[in-house]
Amino acid sequence: MSKRSSCSAGRLLLSPAVFTMSRIVGIDLGTTNSLVAYIDPQTNEPKCIPGPYGSTLCPSVVSLDADGSVIVGEAAKRRLLTQPERTIYSVKRLMGRGSADVQSELKLFPFRIDPNSKNVIRVQLGDKYFTPPEISAFILRELKNWAEAALGEKVERAVVTVPAYFNDAQRQATKDAGKIADLEIVRLVNEPTAAALAYGLHEKQRGHVAVYDLGGGTFDISVLKLISTSEGDIYQVLATNGDTHLGGDDIDNLLQSLVREKIRQEHGVDISTKPEVAQELRKALIAAKHQLSTESNVDIRFPLPNGAVFATAISREHFDNLIRPIVDRTMAPVKAALADAKLTPAQIEEVVLVGGTTRTPLIRSTVREFFGRAPHTELNPDEVVALGAAVQANILERGVSNMLLLDVTPLSLGIETYGGAVSKIIPRNSTIPASAQEQYTTGVDNQTGIDIHVLQGERELAKDCRSLARFTLKTVPAPAGLPRIEVKFLIDASGILQVSAKDLRTGEEHSIEVQPSYGIGDAEIERMLEDSIEYAEQDFAERQLIEARTESESILAATLKGLATPDAAGLSAEERGKIEASAAVLREAVAGTDYKLARKRIDELNHATEHLAELLMNSAVSSALQGRKLAEV
Amino acid sequence: MTASNTAATAPPTPDYFSVFALPRKLWIEMAALEQKFLQLSWKLHPDNFVNASETERELSLKRSSELNDAYRTLCDPVARVEYLLAIEGARKEGEHKQQAPPELLEEVFELNESLDELRDAKSEGGDLTALKARLESAQKNFQQKLEEVDAELFAVAKHWDATVEVEASGTNPHAEREAIKQRLNELLNGRSYIRNLVANVQKELL
Repeated sequence: MSKRSSCSAGRLLLSPAVFTMSRIVGIDLGTTNSLVAYIDPQTNEPKCIPGPYGSTLCPSVVSLDADGSVIVGEAAKRRLLTQPERTIYSVKRLMGRGSADVQSELKLFPFRIDPNSKNVIRVQLGDKYFTPPEISAFILRELKNWAEAALGEKVERAVVTVPAYFNDAQRQATKDAGKIADLEIVRLVNEPTAAALAYGLHEKQRGHVAVYDLGGGTFDISVLKLISTSEGDIYQVLATNGDTHLGGDDIDNLLQSLVREKIRQEHGVDISTKPEVAQELRKALIAAKHQLSTESNVDIRFPLPNGAVFATAISREHFDNLIRPIVDRTMAPVKAALADAKLTPAQIEEVVLVGGTTRTPLIRSTVREFFGRAPHTELNPDEVVALGAAVQANILERGVSNMLLLDVTPLSLGIETYGGAVSKIIPRNSTIPASAQEQYTTGVDNQTGIDIHVLQGERELAKDCRSLARFTLKTVPAPAGLPRIEVKFLIDASGILQVSAKDLRTGEEHSIEVQPSYGIGDAEIERMLEDSIEYAEQDFAERQLIEARTESESILAATLKGLATPDAAGLSAEERGKIEASAAVLREAVAGTDYKLARKRIDELNHATEHLAELLMNSAVSSALQGRKLAEV
Repeated sequence: MTASNTAATAPPTPDYFSVFALPRKLWIEMAALEQKFLQLSWKLHPDNFVNASETERELSLKRSSELNDAYRTLCDPVARVEYLLAIEGARKEGEHKQQAPPELLEEVFELNESLDELRDAKSEGGDLTALKARLESAQKNFQQKLEEVDAELFAVAKHWDATVEVEASGTNPHAEREAIKQRLNELLNGRSYIRNLVANVQKELL
């Protein structure tokens, strides 16, 4: 929540600006992966920008190196296995939350929270502490670098997507991440709405559309009306609902609990005390989960620290039964959103699935059954939100457009009244921007202030709602009932609350000191920005080169080792020759300074050693390590 | 819902009817209202002003939020009546308490008694079937009453609209309008009382 200076009510003609400013990119800041997209001027279509590894997905993983530099994305994801105590994933789960909120997460996620955290939690990476917005800022900076490298120009503005069901504190924390990354977030757009934009552009479909978005950590359902008018297309969100702590992570955690318990029973090994092994297991189980989307059975073989190999099989049926409670948890918000939109499932013309978790067959069949129609899956569920963000970025950049997005606030805004009850002043699913005015006066003579507590949520009591902020309206000594102060609550187009107050007797702006319940102060943001620049000082290309060198060292060593084993006898002379040649050109490449070339050579060597890796894997001990690259064996 | 307040020194905020250039009538053609809402959204939405001056951005935020507030209120028939009464000075903040309609007092008393009995029986683990059946039939009865209130609300609203037309033709139906406003206010108070009652019964029957 931010304090806002009141706007002057001059009689100004509203004329959309026609001049263009710097480019705005679209960013999907996801729980598992983040992406950056822009509108390709050649095709006029949104397009995701690939990073140095060739993939458009940047794993939302951040690692603090022992030398003090920060590593983001694929390289950081690999460090989850080697340096888990310096590396963090799924930080989105912590955005805008206090330490009391995250206790349940701590049982399942290896977050190391600073016990001295105040209203903003801090997470430990190595010997340093960071707030969740600072960690998200590293991811934003990385994506900014990707975009700048691809577009050949400075990128200073972005549209960033957030789960539709994010509350004010979570949205504010995301905006703070932008400030810390020195990236102006011109608008927060709800993820399902962004997906609908990309979808609508693609399908030219009109009518009622439901977007079911199950990502790594969050679930959203939005119901939209797509309207064609003479001025252009309007995407009007009618209702939204969700759960900001429900996603693929929860499926992973269920699988982990199940397998950890089996390992404990069968082998007497407690994985939870060994972070490296726990990360290895997590990785293997995520791979198994993905496999179960297309196969009816998956074998899991996992080497344990004591030398034994744990083996088990999971059938699709068993998996479906395991995750059914999670799938069922998504259906209550779906029903609530439809009820708020005053629609029945049959009145929904199209259903769009978004988020990697919707690849799960049980989810697809459950959604199909509920709506009585096959959901759309033709858009890549990993990219669709970023593509939609790029579309919205383009709309904002041009100022005038033939597309308009009307979104809603997901949660009711209320203020605490007498006896701890909540009076709702802006109901959920109100189109934003939305506002409400409340008048306040004093109850006793010479009262010096009026306390105001702002909340978000649907429950009737303040203690059951989310506290956004408390502030005191200061009043000059006067008889009771004489002071009259009007407070204006305004939710802007990003879904963030602004508060201003006016003294109705003088007509003057009334100063207020807003204490956000879970916010970071401006001065602190400034300091974090400075720190963040320091971490980012190492040049992007230089860092990529260092990473490529480190990686090539390990793959070259593994290749040598592999060629020296008896298993290598299974290689043809041609294969062996190709491996040696690829290794030689890789050594040459990393001696130079072109990280892209080095990366290309790494991929080539990885490719050349595929058969060798297979041979090594086939030998007894490594049968558990299928699907891994040679360097990881 | 709260009415927008206009201090003497501040420029007046347009009332929700005039945002859409509508007379203060309670019957509104919804399709036309939606069309006007979308038209104005194209013009006022902050999306159009990202590159504009700060003053323009602020003004767009203010105007588009007013537009959305107005549309939200006018779309809901009950909120529309409440709002009309507020801007007509007939419904002041803190005054609109839920009020049992006098003609229903006896039935309300009985229902509350049954509710208490059900709560007692629940805590003592007694047989609930008969009590529940009684409450269900009472609930149906009150649901019926709610429909009657809504029907009357509709009729009185039509009456109000007629006075707006009369006024436009030059006559001053002041006394009549005051009576209508008072009746509308009573109906709203009774309506929210009954709704609350039905909700309470529903909660206990779950």
